[in-house]
Amino acid sequence: MNRPSKLGRMDWFLLVVALILCGIGLMNAYSGSRVHGVPGTALVTKQLAWILLGVAGFFAVYFLSDGFIEEITYGFFLAVLLLLVVVLLAGRVRGGAQRWIAFGAFNLQPSEFAKIAVTFALARYFSGKYRYGGFGLVEVLPAIGIVLVPFLLVALQPDLGSAGVFLFIFAGMAVVACVRGKVLGFFAGAGAAAIPALWFFMKDYQRQRVLTFMDPERDPLGAGYHVIQSKIAVGSGGFFGKGYLQGTQGSLRFLPEQHTDFAFAVFAEEWGFLGSLLLLVLFLLLVHRLFFLTVRSQDRFASFACGGIAVFFLTHIVINLAMVCGLFPVVGIPLPFVSYGGSSMLTNMMALGAAANLSRSRFTFQGGGGKGREIAS
Amino acid sequence: MTGRIRKREQDPDITRRSRILLYVAFGAFALLLGRFYWLQVVESGRYRNLSENNRLRMRTVRAPRGLILDRKGRAIAETQGSFALVCSPVDVKDLEGEIRLLNEIMEFDVDEEEVLEKIRTAQRSNPYSSLTVARDLRFEQVSVVEFNRENLPGFSVLVEAKRSYPYGEAFAHVLGYVGEASPEEMEKPGNEPLMMGDLIGKYGLERLADNVLRGVNGGRKVEVDAAGRDQRLVEEVPSRTGGTVHTSLDVDLQVTAQEAMGDRAGAVIALAPRTGEVLAFYSGPGFDPNMFARGIRRADWQALNTNPRKPMQNKGLQGTYAPGSTIKPFLAMAALEEKMQEIGKPVVCPGSYRLGNRVFRCWKEKGHGAVDMYRAIVQSCDVYFYTLGLKLGPERVAKLERDAGLGTITGIDLPGERKGLVPDMEWKRTVSKERWYDYESLLLGIGQGAVHLTPLEMTVGYATLATGGEVMRPRVISKVIGMDGAVRSAPPERMRKLPWKPENVEFIRKALAGVVNDFGTGGAAKLPGIVVGGKTGTAQVASVKGKMIKSEHLPYEIRDHAWFIAFAPVDDPQICVAAMVEHGGHGGSAAAPIVKLVMQEFFRTRFVGPPRKGGA
Repeated sequence: MNRPSKLGRMDWFLLVVALILCGIGLMNAYSGSRVHGVPGTALVTKQLAWILLGVAGFFAVYFLSDGFIEEITYGFFLAVLLLLVVVLLAGRVRGGAQRWIAFGAFNLQPSEFAKIAVTFALARYFSGKYRYGGFGLVEVLPAIGIVLVPFLLVALQPDLGSAGVFLFIFAGMAVVACVRGKVLGFFAGAGAAAIPALWFFMKDYQRQRVLTFMDPERDPLGAGYHVIQSKIAVGSGGFFGKGYLQGTQGSLRFLPEQHTDFAFAVFAEEWGFLGSLLLLVLFLLLVHRLFFLTVRSQDRFASFACGGIAVFFLTHIVINLAMVCGLFPVVGIPLPFVSYGGSSMLTNMMALGAAANLSRSRFTFQGGGGKGREIAS
Repeated sequence: MTGRIRKREQDPDITRRSRILLYVAFGAFALLLGRFYWLQVVESGRYRNLSENNRLRMRTVRAPRGLILDRKGRAIAETQGSFALVCSPVDVKDLEGEIRLLNEIMEFDVDEEEVLEKIRTAQRSNPYSSLTVARDLRFEQVSVVEFNRENLPGFSVLVEAKRSYPYGEAFAHVLGYVGEASPEEMEKPGNEPLMMGDLIGKYGLERLADNVLRGVNGGRKVEVDAAGRDQRLVEEVPSRTGGTVHTSLDVDLQVTAQEAMGDRAGAVIALAPRTGEVLAFYSGPGFDPNMFARGIRRADWQALNTNPRKPMQNKGLQGTYAPGSTIKPFLAMAALEEKMQEIGKPVVCPGSYRLGNRVFRCWKEKGHGAVDMYRAIVQSCDVYFYTLGLKLGPERVAKLERDAGLGTITGIDLPGERKGLVPDMEWKRTVSKERWYDYESLLLGIGQGAVHLTPLEMTVGYATLATGGEVMRPRVISKVIGMDGAVRSAPPERMRKLPWKPENVEFIRKALAGVVNDFGTGGAAKLPGIVVGGKTGTAQVASVKGKMIKSEHLPYEIRDHAWFIAFAPVDDPQICVAAMVEHGGHGGSAAAPIVKLVMQEFFRTRFVGPPRKGGA
């Protein structure tokens, strides 16, 4: 039997869905960056460059030889931690938080890379210790350490939204990696108990956001403004939408961050419920595929890593959409592939590349595909 | 065959756990889909409205008020374009900060607290309205506001119709002024279309003819961005200018009257006696109605209201004064009509009149000697008229005076007219338990005592003497052209015709002509080529016991009021002018020259033929 080439064993489905989402994002950025009716092509060009760079990143990661990713996982993790320290010490301050490192013409956001680094580090740890019967509390503690360090570094920036994503990834990975039900329950309980303590550590603007989330009308022109305007954008789209380039909430600048975190509001206003449904279906296909790869991967590291990546995307998608339609406090979480933003585009593409890389071994023998459907049935 | 050659079978635990997470994903997506359905399908109408409210603003285009014209078609109240600072309350982000900035950059000409309060009220009750914050901005102010636009969301500069009075103070009391409609005014029937910030006539003709002058506001539906800046005009409904009011006023006479009065307090009224048309109606001191059109400052308003000379009062319409000797022709007329005194029968004036143990002086200490009625009027002999007053008694005097228009509402088409008082026995009974005393009858003869009348009443009374008993309703508005082009003219209105005997009328006219032309007290009103007939009056404000003191030597507040009322030409009266100078001293020297100047101006452009035969 001929071993098919790497390209032949590629999971094209992932890349195609991602590129469709990128296309939607690009189109949406064109409309969303309109200022007073004039489209901003500069931003669209930049985003296109990021997409191309992202695709290159996808293949760069994809073509890494088998086992390489697992090998460099901890090194990568340490390098990202270093970057997080650097950004804390010498990063750019924007909007009250220190999140960016200037890198030539681009601004990098190391917290984006940290999310993937944590995912892989956890996958490496859990796969190394794996045994039947699941993990107990003692085995889970080092994993908590792996999450806690970057979590604190990001939370200090302060970027509570991204920091929260670490917790979601950890929780998701703990489920996939078969941490015992009792232990999961213990952490869930501890987490719930920690919420009041968390309130204590929050900065003032963060508390405002939470309070405003509970009741946006308490400050309609201040902190509640984002949520109210975003809900108006989504709601006014109606069933069929106002039509492409016909949205008013974004172009007249009622929406904040209309091409980054609130990109979906612009989309939902112009494409309505039908557009929202389409976008949800595309995201579901992506997440479903990643879980399929989790189940079908040939070794545990690959399996856990794919599961982690699935949770990573799921977290971003759900939090962003929930935030835009007023179900979640406003946090700086972009919508994968759709929101404008270089670091997140690069991270997302490389994460997909890694998922494709890790799962290609299941194509070592022909006919490995197709069975994945059963988990969705 | 597929699964058989795998390196390793899938771990069932991992499969189970992955499936759990997938179900979580399904759940989360279902929740999101439900939320989208709720927002975009169930509630979409509400959000569509909210988004339109976000985006669309109705900008009121205030209608220009109509013109007010003088008798020759010259505009005395007009509308000009001016820059106004307008506020859209819903778009204001930081009210205090922005007002502070405005104050810094443009020497805000209005009361800061008041503006804050106004905008706050609007933000609560009517956030999508537009408010005019400051009117009549100077060019530098416009440019600094435009320059700071980014920091002033919700504020913009618009061209607005501004009320303008080209003759300033001259017409202040007749025209009145405009101001923003108060909530109470907006609730009155007929005022429903008024919006916050609309102008309404507050005083004078502006108030009386408000429904004619007021136009219909238009609107501009514009799209705005989040900072409230206009982006695009969506729809426009043009405003409609209000109707035109033609008046019988004459700019030249009015300005002459104003200049003749100078900075003295008082009133000048000119009527066309046969038609009742008001040719001039000046009250001094005045105020600049343009100040109100801009939006008057609180300090200015207070200054106007606390000024002891009462610039806000229309003295011709609302001020009442003792008529003094100007009342004498009416007593003469009453005596003739009642046949109680013959024209030629003389009365001896020794310089005073004794009634019981009181002595009533004539203004001429040495006395006039024997005077008949003609001389008595010409020389304004007090003793003669003491005897007439005593003879006639209050009832006869009051009847004739009221018939002639004194002590009554004249019915002029200006708001706020007050009537004076002509005393009679009934009046005496109602105000005090005491009977009518003879000395009161005596005082009737010289226009002192309880009697007090407005300059307008006196003018109408003299116009009645001039026409020989025809009492015309005085009126300012001659024609009104509505917004729809409909013309309504106001023809002369005769209120009543008094059955005065022509020979009596003729005599009174002749005597009044004598006052001016026959070495009488009104010589200062003499005009070359035209026979003027009139009467002086010097009305005491306070009685000074003992020696005669010249009025000029008294403190201002108790100096006599000076009157002069005249008509001309005597045999065919075309104009009747009254001048009253508060604390002006002698009528002959203070008031008569004013009347002369006004008449001179009137006849400058009118040809008057030679005196009729048999005339004065």
